[in-house]
Amino acid sequence: MFTEELKAFKRLGFRHVLLQILNFASVIASGLMIWKGLGIVTNSESPIVVVLSGSMEPAFYRGDLLFLTNPAGERYNTGDITVYKIPGADIPIVHRVLETHDVKPKKSSKTAATSPVNQLLLTKGDNNYVDDIELYQGLEWLERKHIVGKVRGFLPYVGYVTIAMNDFPQLKYALLGGLGLLALIQRE
Amino acid sequence: MVLLAAIALSSFVFIANPQGDLAISSLKVVSSNARRYPNKKQDLAFVHFNITADLAPLFHWNTKQLFLYLEAEYTNAKGTKNEVVIWDRIVRRKEDAFIKFAGKNKYMFRDVSSSFKNVPPAHYSLKYNVMPYVGVLTYGEAARTTEPVAFPPSQSRL
Repeated sequence: MFTEELKAFKRLGFRHVLLQILNFASVIASGLMIWKGLGIVTNSESPIVVVLSGSMEPAFYRGDLLFLTNPAGERYNTGDITVYKIPGADIPIVHRVLETHDVKPKKSSKTAATSPVNQLLLTKGDNNYVDDIELYQGLEWLERKHIVGKVRGFLPYVGYVTIAMNDFPQLKYALLGGLGLLALIQRE
Repeated sequence: MVLLAAIALSSFVFIANPQGDLAISSLKVVSSNARRYPNKKQDLAFVHFNITADLAPLFHWNTKQLFLYLEAEYTNAKGTKNEVVIWDRIVRRKEDAFIKFAGKNKYMFRDVSSSFKNVPPAHYSLKYNVMPYVGVLTYGEAARTTEPVAFPPSQSRL
């Protein structure tokens, strides 16, 4: 069945196979570089996120793609949509800011002049009836350090691929295997 | 891909700055029990307000929905700057974009220090967030109270 392909493979030679592997590796490496570079530019640990729940409907549905930024000096306003991650919870949450309280740093501390104001936030999902205080795992307020970023841009549905891949792992392996095979066999 | 980018960019062409009216009709502060600590006292403010605003100009072909919210801004006695959303509404169609609403706050309005005593008067503003089908989220302000509204002394019951 595969004799034809194998013959073609042999004809290409060892050198060619190595070259293809190198190509494949460089594709993966550049992908990683772009991701990490975006992370540095936006100051966010994950500048692109996929919406996983329906708590922001009808604004965001499952599978929508969000683009985040998290400039260090910028304060958050009410109405901003933030992505936050509570320590201990493994999934980041996308919700809208309901309250902000800019607490002045204590005058006695030496760093008062230089340190930015500490902002306490309370969030709520548009589709939820109550605010998120139950999601904070005992914390009273959300703080700046919990926040991954502020939602700036929106692209619908595209992220559904990743949700599908998580729900059906076979699809992930099939896709990866297919891509790998294509990269190896393909000749320029 | 190019089409999506073009649609996203096209929304920068539509610039609308609708203005409406916002009036606070009454404001009461009631002393109550805190939500998580039943033995702690917590002041709650009850705000009644009127809104009139025509937000139809914000709807163009890349507008998916409008998130409209009423916010109170004040600095409390300890110097903490606060912004609290007390009411919101999602507008999904242009036909619903003429807002005429009179009512009270939807969300609990409380101060971090748990008391509104000696808190300077607060400004109230009506703000919106335009959410596109694809592209960048934009924000704006549609109305603002002309004079700050002072918090009355707290009463034991409404």
